[in-house]
Amino acid sequence: METGGFHGYRKLPNTTAGLKLSVSDMNMRQQVASSDHSAATGEENECTVREQDRFMPIANVIRIMRKILPPHAKISDDAKETIQECVSEYISFITGEANERCQREQRKTITAEDVLWAMSKLGFDDYIEPLTMYLHRYRELEGDRTSMRGEPLGKRTVEYATLGVATAFVPPPYHHHNGYFGAAMPMGTYVREAPPNTASSHHHHHHHHHHARGISNAHEPNARSI
Amino acid sequence: MENNQQQGAQAQSGPYPGGAGGSAGAGAGAGAAPFQHLLQQQQQQLQMFWSYQRQEIEHVNDFKNHQLPLARIKKIMKADEDVRMISAEAPILFAKACELFILELTIRSWLHADENKRRTLQKNDIAAAITRTDIFDFLVDIVPRDEIKDDAALVGATASGVPYYYPPIGQPAGMMIGRPAVDPATGVYVQPPSQAWQSVWQSAAEDTPYGTGAQGNLDGQSMEF
Repeated sequence: METGGFHGYRKLPNTTAGLKLSVSDMNMRQQVASSDHSAATGEENECTVREQDRFMPIANVIRIMRKILPPHAKISDDAKETIQECVSEYISFITGEANERCQREQRKTITAEDVLWAMSKLGFDDYIEPLTMYLHRYRELEGDRTSMRGEPLGKRTVEYATLGVATAFVPPPYHHHNGYFGAAMPMGTYVREAPPNTASSHHHHHHHHHHARGISNAHEPNARSI
Repeated sequence: MENNQQQGAQAQSGPYPGGAGGSAGAGAGAGAAPFQHLLQQQQQQLQMFWSYQRQEIEHVNDFKNHQLPLARIKKIMKADEDVRMISAEAPILFAKACELFILELTIRSWLHADENKRRTLQKNDIAAAITRTDIFDFLVDIVPRDEIKDDAALVGATASGVPYYYPPIGQPAGMMIGRPAVDPATGVYVQPPSQAWQSVWQSAAEDTPYGTGAQGNLDGQSMEF
């Protein structure tokens, strides 16, 4: 295995083979369970992102990678960890841009359309068509079961129908919707508005830009956990 | 030169089926021809990747078993203190977007490993994919500089200095990402030339695009908090 200047955190045993997905899966399940338990202690932990929560589970990442690789391909451990870091960076990069749009338009909720808009603005043009189809298909199939509106992909001026918001107003027509998503996502912890406590806010508003080369903005999610 | 031999070998392998779009000619050529041919092959493989993704999404009907846990996506989104509320659809869309991102980054990295006749995907392959792709600029800080220098030594595209991004020869400078102008009607169902695509067709044949029981367990566990 190639040894480089990797500054990440190892969450799994460093096996030389790196191909035993069953062992990796078991370890990941235990780790996920541990993470869930520790994260359930309260609001403060929700704001403080734990190490294991900063990345996607490595077993899921490896499974997706193997879908595109030839059967004889091997993946080094540092490559797996690097992809993990890249995925988190990608989520933060797109989310930052989507959130800026929300704030400019004085909206509080990041919608799927905001995510698509941010991807287009940041150059991920190839992603727009498949993801738009995916979103349409999701609304076709899941919308009937959850009574979600099948409205076309347009801008929503008002977002009152956010799920799981403890203090937000949830209209009665979405009761079934909440009930459905309760099976897939925990209601109490799904979406929660951060308390407006400036003392706990360690960072100011920042910008994710396409040409932020060499600037440490790209590493802000990592710096935030220090 | 070793690099030229590798490029020549790469050019000899994988004849493409003739289509309305760019056709793959004979691999023999001196100077920059093998390199340009290699780039055309890579562009075509990426175009096939995107065509395949669109086809797969057209037939998706399972939105419960995501390849990536929604709770984790939400946590990463909320790591930004400025993010307040997230609609239900955003993590679901991100789950698919991240899958596409992992697939694209992996195939671009594998193309680099394949150029160097390796069967193990390494960190410097990811570094090469990042430096060669404009939309991955935001990832530059994740890979250290020495990884990129290794790429310079291997590719040897420039005589001096560390190559950061070089436009493909014979094509307009700009993003290397190939957008499919025309989907070859027959090309989609023909056996793709590269071994990298055999796993795609195998997974398509298996008809299990979305997860196994293990994924369900992961989702179940994430529900505990």
